[in-house]
Amino acid sequence: MNILKVSRWTIAAFVLPCLLLYVCLVFVPITVSIYSGMLDWNGIGVSKFIGFANYNKMFTNDAIFWPTVGRTLLLAGFSMLVQLPIALFVAILISRYVRRPSFLVSSYFLPVILSVVVIGQLWKTIYNPASMGGMINQLLIKLGLDSWTHSWLTEPKVAIYSIIIVALWQYLGYHILIQFTGIQNIPADIYEAAKIDGAEGFQADRYITLPMIVPIFKISVVLSFIGSLQSFDLIMVMTGGGPAHTTDVISSHMYNMSFLSMKYGYGSAIASFLVVVCLAATMLVNLLFNRLDKRFS
Amino acid sequence: MSQSASVTVTKQPVVHVQRSRFSITKALVFIFLGILIITQLYPLIWLLIYSLKTNEEILSGSFFSLPSVWQWSNYSSAIEGGNYWKYLSNSLLVTVVTLTCVILLASLTAFAITRFRWKYGQLVLLVFLLGMMIPIQATLLPLMKIFKGMDILNTHLSLILPYIAFQTPIAVFIMSGFMKTFPQEIEESAVMDGAGVFRIFGNIMLPVSIPPIMTVCILAFISVWNEYILAATFISSEKLKTLPFGVYSFVSQYSVNYGAIGAFLVLGALPVILIYFLLSEKITKGMVAGAVKG
Repeated sequence: MNILKVSRWTIAAFVLPCLLLYVCLVFVPITVSIYSGMLDWNGIGVSKFIGFANYNKMFTNDAIFWPTVGRTLLLAGFSMLVQLPIALFVAILISRYVRRPSFLVSSYFLPVILSVVVIGQLWKTIYNPASMGGMINQLLIKLGLDSWTHSWLTEPKVAIYSIIIVALWQYLGYHILIQFTGIQNIPADIYEAAKIDGAEGFQADRYITLPMIVPIFKISVVLSFIGSLQSFDLIMVMTGGGPAHTTDVISSHMYNMSFLSMKYGYGSAIASFLVVVCLAATMLVNLLFNRLDKRFS
Repeated sequence: MSQSASVTVTKQPVVHVQRSRFSITKALVFIFLGILIITQLYPLIWLLIYSLKTNEEILSGSFFSLPSVWQWSNYSSAIEGGNYWKYLSNSLLVTVVTLTCVILLASLTAFAITRFRWKYGQLVLLVFLLGMMIPIQATLLPLMKIFKGMDILNTHLSLILPYIAFQTPIAVFIMSGFMKTFPQEIEESAVMDGAGVFRIFGNIMLPVSIPPIMTVCILAFISVWNEYILAATFISSEKLKTLPFGVYSFVSQYSVNYGAIGAFLVLGALPVILIYFLLSEKITKGMVAGAVKG
């Protein structure tokens, strides 16, 4: 039971500045966004209320929209099915074999704290054609694999994968760190008890580490899933959604629609869709893992 | 979201590290971990070398080679050509103001949620929690309209306000998670001694809340310092740009001087890397705490 009994005004003085700022700058814009999603409006001139026409157009009559959803899911899929298992594997290896892990873990983590602008520009340089000093193409030529060279960010078929690699690269260290910390926090006596029962090495991992890591793994899944849904900065910095929309994701499509094509109403509709999907996805992941939790305990 | 997983990052020795002798498995593991270090760090080192080369050296295709003469002039042309110091001080200003406000506002709110006797504390907390799932990009357009109406577009205020708003949920959550655990007897005796709420907050609660304040600072610093999209959307004057946006515009303007571009990227990354060298343990702990609580 909270102890301090104070007047209403005191409570207001403590809570309202923060709450008001937050509500005005987060909730009000989202609500406005849902409303302007029902307008035919270029952001400046006269707006016309058109109900759900924007949403209708988005779902049925926008050749770009569904591919952007697909690409967003592709990003999430790669993150969850490639990045997270690698991170877990590395975390297990580190906690098993490395006696002073902090140097390793913090080296892996370094790219996480860098600005997406720096990361994006760095990788753009790495992906450059060999004639412009690009590392990968120069390396391929050195190895005699000239036919493997690509202009990695401008060929429609490979561009999105080039970006996905950068996203996986940047955040791998984050997930390694999270899961490594999770493993560190599994009480050591459980492993000792298992040892007495004859479970050692990777068997111990199978029966102890994996079940015990589920709650922490969930955090990684939520972060990578939500992160992929919101993935935006990297794409804006590296390609802006091009070439020919082949690297557009939901949020970059929204940005391009509202700020470049000046379809303010339509952009708002996409933004609202994104908010709903984010909320739904978070709940879904939590629900799934609560089930998984129950099965293990 | 995941209060159930209460992770405390302790430095307990891990007992299940194998103290075995040299073995093939172990060698393979270390090779694998070593390769991973190279893939994670080599691009950054490559950038550093790149930034010290001449254009000819960069274009010649010998990317393993070191520059024959280290071109520090790339750095001076980057600093002179772009407004590096201006961008840096803008970033510093925006970040410091944001962090101060976030800590003050969030700790006041967390204090009210956890220590005051009132009905709606948990409701307020829930409202903040909901905000953690909202994608920032979705607020971009309406915020632009609102700020245009307030006539603060293209000022630092148009960055600071949303930055504070977006950082408060996680901050309130972390702070109230900490304050909840703080024993009530101390307040009771303070009340007996006649201390008012503001004194209890300022003289007792804030000083003991330094650890969660540090965590909040680190999380907010990383995301505010690196923020790019809001800055690029709301700011247009050259003299108001923050570092990430400045880096971006420098790179798009100087498309022919490769070395200077590399130098500017290094300079853009440098402040965070320096801080990371000094505080890497605190930063990694803070980021884990933020992830676990987020």
